[in-house]
Amino acid sequence: MAQDSVNAADTAWMMTSTALVLLMTLPGIALFYGGMVRRKNVLNTMASVVAIAALVSLLWFALGYSLAFTPGSGWLGGSSRLWFSGLDYLKDAGKVAVSHVAPNVPESVYAMFQLTFAIITAALIVGAVVERMRFSAMLWFIGLWSLVVYAPIAHWVWEPGGWLAQRGVLDFAGGSVVHINAGVSGLVCAHMLGPRRGYGREPFEPFNLGLTMAGAGLLWVGWFGFNAGSAVASDGRAGLAMAVTHIAASAGAMTWMLGEWMVRGRPSLLGLCSGLVAGLVAITPASGFVSPSSALLIGAVAGVACYWGATGLKRILNADDSLDVFGVHGIGGMVGALMTGLLASKGISGVHGDIGVQLLGVVAVAVYSAVMSAALLWVTKAIVGLRVDDGSEVTGLDITQHREHMGT
Amino acid sequence: MLPSEKLAIAAHLHVLLRRKTGRVTDTQWMADNADYATEIVRFARRSAEKDGHVDLLEWADKLEMALSSRPPARPPARWPVAEPPAAGGLLATPAAHGDAGDGPMDTPRYVRGLR
Repeated sequence: MAQDSVNAADTAWMMTSTALVLLMTLPGIALFYGGMVRRKNVLNTMASVVAIAALVSLLWFALGYSLAFTPGSGWLGGSSRLWFSGLDYLKDAGKVAVSHVAPNVPESVYAMFQLTFAIITAALIVGAVVERMRFSAMLWFIGLWSLVVYAPIAHWVWEPGGWLAQRGVLDFAGGSVVHINAGVSGLVCAHMLGPRRGYGREPFEPFNLGLTMAGAGLLWVGWFGFNAGSAVASDGRAGLAMAVTHIAASAGAMTWMLGEWMVRGRPSLLGLCSGLVAGLVAITPASGFVSPSSALLIGAVAGVACYWGATGLKRILNADDSLDVFGVHGIGGMVGALMTGLLASKGISGVHGDIGVQLLGVVAVAVYSAVMSAALLWVTKAIVGLRVDDGSEVTGLDITQHREHMGT
Repeated sequence: MLPSEKLAIAAHLHVLLRRKTGRVTDTQWMADNADYATEIVRFARRSAEKDGHVDLLEWADKLEMALSSRPPARPPARWPVAEPPAAGGLLATPAAHGDAGDGPMDTPRYVRGLR
């Protein structure tokens, strides 16, 4: 395509959004999770996030982008963009490659924007496996997972030929692709890894909830790139997506806080941080489809639902999902996906929501993610084993996996 | 006293000792082994008297009582023992709503979940 047909404002906004979404992982997720684990496992948690960012980037470049975002079958994309081949920029000819999904921006920008989603989705899973998974096992599992689970699901939902996209499933920025996917996979990981030593008997005191708050702040700010960037344009829909994102985050923080205040007698900082993330998760699939007042409702429901997910439901599920990846991202993603079916406005997006279709999307993503995650964990266990030994777990993964420790 | 109650007291003392003195203890062993628990009680009291940690004294007493199922031999604490004040309801002052959070504060935090 001729380079002058690319929209400069859209391109600038997409490059900005790409940086914002990467900021959500580095250092957002690293700080958010690092603050919640015990002191002896903080560096391992942060190292996991950094390693995932690098590993998923290379796999996305080699295979993932092509499998997810090129035309192929309804189940998987093709091979035309393996190793980013064809993402050309020819200065003398004035030509630049664009994707059929995002014709107004260079394809290199779109591929990088989508890469940051692949990174954060994989990084979210770390929260379910912290403090007992071998670093090498985590790398094997996440590497395979990004290709076998993430790329196909992204293709189903976001590539126009994907089978869920063809059926009209609405997921503006990743309620299913990112959050349900990561939440369900995290729950399966927690079940298959087993609980941490002492779980349910000893208090696992978080290292520093101040770090967690700093991470939550970065997530909130970065989410403007996540949702408003998913408009793939610098336009009115992106502006509205930004507004509804902020409103839902605020509503989620308030309802989680009120719920905790009523049930426990005290509002906590961790509750506020968790509530705002719950609101952000739930508005993610809806952000290009709903009005600000609908966003308020989605965020408010998500705050309460995810509080239950991280407390009452957690006890029912009886898995050591250590940092509540399923309780917050899985439940929040489901709330958002289903409420998108109820509240999507034809005036804003040109499409009607259908809760039955949305439910199909939720179930399909959850089942595929659960089954394939279990299979990949089985493979990983056969290759390197999943857990560190008891002695290493007691000593802490910072020392035993990395020979590093926090300063005094 | 039920083993779970003893374990809950041990867990609370574990957290307090970690926070106030930096000492890391083995919660399960504290609930299972009387010699270890007695030594922890002694250490907690010594730290409490040295640095004025009222709550350490209180929980050392509770652990001793759990071990023997008898009242502690030590005389009552020299300092008044008070629970941290509850935050109160959203529409009430802490003084007017003093009981709002007392129940949950009796159980150790971060056991079986962060939230």
